[in-house]
Amino acid sequence: MNRLSSLFLSVAFLFLSAWLGFVVYSYLELGRMKPLEGSDGVLPPQLSGQAILGARVYAANGCVTCHSQQVRQTSVTHSDIERNWGKRPSVARDYLRDQTAFLGMMRIGPDLSNVGVRLSNPRWHYQHLYEPATVVAGSTMPSYRYLFRLQKIQGQPSAEAISLVGNHAPQEGYEVVPTQEAKNLVAYLLSLQHDYTLPEVSPENASTH
Amino acid sequence: MNQDSMLSQAQAMSNLYEPAPLHTVMRSEIDSSLRLPLLLLVRTSTFWLVMGSFLALLSAVKLVIPSFLDGISLFTYGRIFPVACDLLVYGWATPAGLAISLWFMARLCGTRLHYTKVLVSAALLWNAGIFLSSLALLCGYSTSVELLEYPAWGSFLLFIAFLLMGIWVILLFATRQPRSLYLSQWYFLTAICSFPWAYATANMLLVWGHIQGSAQGPIHFWYISNLFGLWITPLALGMAFYLIPKITGASINSYYLGIVGFFSLLLFAAWSGMTFLLGGPVPAWMVSASIVATTLLALPMAALLVNFFKMLQGKETMLVKSPVLRFTYVGILFFIISMVLVMIHAIPCFNAILHFTDYTAGLLVSLLIGFFGMTLFGALYYIMPRLTGVAWFSTQLILRHFWMITVGVGLMVFSSLLGGMVEGIALNDPVIAFINVLSYAAPWRWLMVIAWLLIFLGSISFIRLLILMRWQMIEESIPLVSCSTASNS
Repeated sequence: MNRLSSLFLSVAFLFLSAWLGFVVYSYLELGRMKPLEGSDGVLPPQLSGQAILGARVYAANGCVTCHSQQVRQTSVTHSDIERNWGKRPSVARDYLRDQTAFLGMMRIGPDLSNVGVRLSNPRWHYQHLYEPATVVAGSTMPSYRYLFRLQKIQGQPSAEAISLVGNHAPQEGYEVVPTQEAKNLVAYLLSLQHDYTLPEVSPENASTH
Repeated sequence: MNQDSMLSQAQAMSNLYEPAPLHTVMRSEIDSSLRLPLLLLVRTSTFWLVMGSFLALLSAVKLVIPSFLDGISLFTYGRIFPVACDLLVYGWATPAGLAISLWFMARLCGTRLHYTKVLVSAALLWNAGIFLSSLALLCGYSTSVELLEYPAWGSFLLFIAFLLMGIWVILLFATRQPRSLYLSQWYFLTAICSFPWAYATANMLLVWGHIQGSAQGPIHFWYISNLFGLWITPLALGMAFYLIPKITGASINSYYLGIVGFFSLLLFAAWSGMTFLLGGPVPAWMVSASIVATTLLALPMAALLVNFFKMLQGKETMLVKSPVLRFTYVGILFFIISMVLVMIHAIPCFNAILHFTDYTAGLLVSLLIGFFGMTLFGALYYIMPRLTGVAWFSTQLILRHFWMITVGVGLMVFSSLLGGMVEGIALNDPVIAFINVLSYAAPWRWLMVIAWLLIFLGSISFIRLLILMRWQMIEESIPLVSCSTASNS
């Protein structure tokens, strides 16, 4: 074997060692993880069709750029749990149902793993998405008013219309209603509830993995 | 123009250290065979650099003034920021690095390029892919997998185009004339082989097909560490190992250290990714392995630095004379900074504070624009006059380019390091409401706006230099394709 081919083999070996360790192992082990059948149904719970569509709106607008979806283990930091972002650390099984796991690298905004538990009112979410600063003073979140529609009030005002005051209020005789995309997105956000207990992790022994 | 004469003097000096006069005829033949595809790649990638840094500037502004261009789907932060990152990585760094490795490989192997048309078509395909995918992202077709945001058809197009371009680096190597093997060739070949493997693996499992969500985290961050550790970094190191001996005239100080540096970098960089998921939903052994690997990156760093600084010993004054050398060594300086930042980030108690803050953004900018970018610019200042036969138009613009980028990236590192610490400490104190954490971050984010502005203006200076060079080529009627190449391709 000459010098060149031994060089190439060693390069390939070093590169592929990590590929085997991280990719193939994940593929074989984590990729075949199964949901659990408990007394209180299947865990993690199935997502509704609307929530699955909402995850696509979440992806399309790059929410993951600012919002993570992972509660870190208490062996690393307690702050995620103390901030009420979750009762227990996230584990791989929590992401079983996700087409894309939006783990995230930045927290320009708060973590959203359990936003459906924290903020369970859809009207709050509509208002917040339309004009974040009116709901959370000082928020730097952009407005997603392009997910809403301005329409003329015909007869009775729509039950879905969001209540707006001051500068943001629409002109007389008009109302702002969420589009189907906004409804799907909110359905997805409300579905983010990882507060069930899995055998590999529970609030009591949060630091075990 | 005193400085102009200094520049040409430095270029003349570097000419002294070209391999041998024996190859003079062939060198010009190699250059003319590469001229059209390389100029295409260099110009289009520089265009994407300008666009990418402009969008990064725009998103930095939106972070401090949220009402700026607010409520428009095309300009929402979550769309333009990924577009900016992808333009910098895939629009600029990837094709530019590929162009440089083609040229260095042709020179080191003493072979000319055949079938220029294939390379030109692949370069056009690549740029079409970048343009269409960026538009798709702005219109809301993102996959939202960081650094793999392009829709499936876009990344597939890029993958095919990359194979059609990268294969030439390997073919040039396979038909090489001098049978010796240089350290920079090792780096280029490793980079060219590992990128498509990593890109295809990650896309296959995360974009083209979707593996179960529970397995996506490790694969995703494995890809990101490969992208920076086994594509961007080896490319820049390959350039540095070519340029520095060429210009200082010193040979590589210790071949043994070169080998140690090469193999240990490869191993540790490949295993380093999971520190970005420290405490996250991945098996604990993966994180531990990555912490160890990242910490051990100190070994290749030390081995590489000994060589880089031994080659400069006694020739420090050349840093003033030669812009190529100055850019390259500032690149190496940012290499040290990036490596130190990566290692700090891997230590669990620091990671708990620094991760999820602007610190990560500073780290990526330091590595991509500080280290890779500065080395790349150094290589371009060396290559372009040889490729086109036209000297750089203005040393003034080169100096402006140098200082804008250096100060810009330096400011970015400074503000993200301190800002990241302040944000992280605030985030780790649950007494401080999240909304108040933002006010701690705000002053540092203003500094980042200035940093991006400087990087953007620096890129403008460089593209102006390229345009001036093009005019000069038209005036002197230098053909893009020489007759011999046209008949052969």
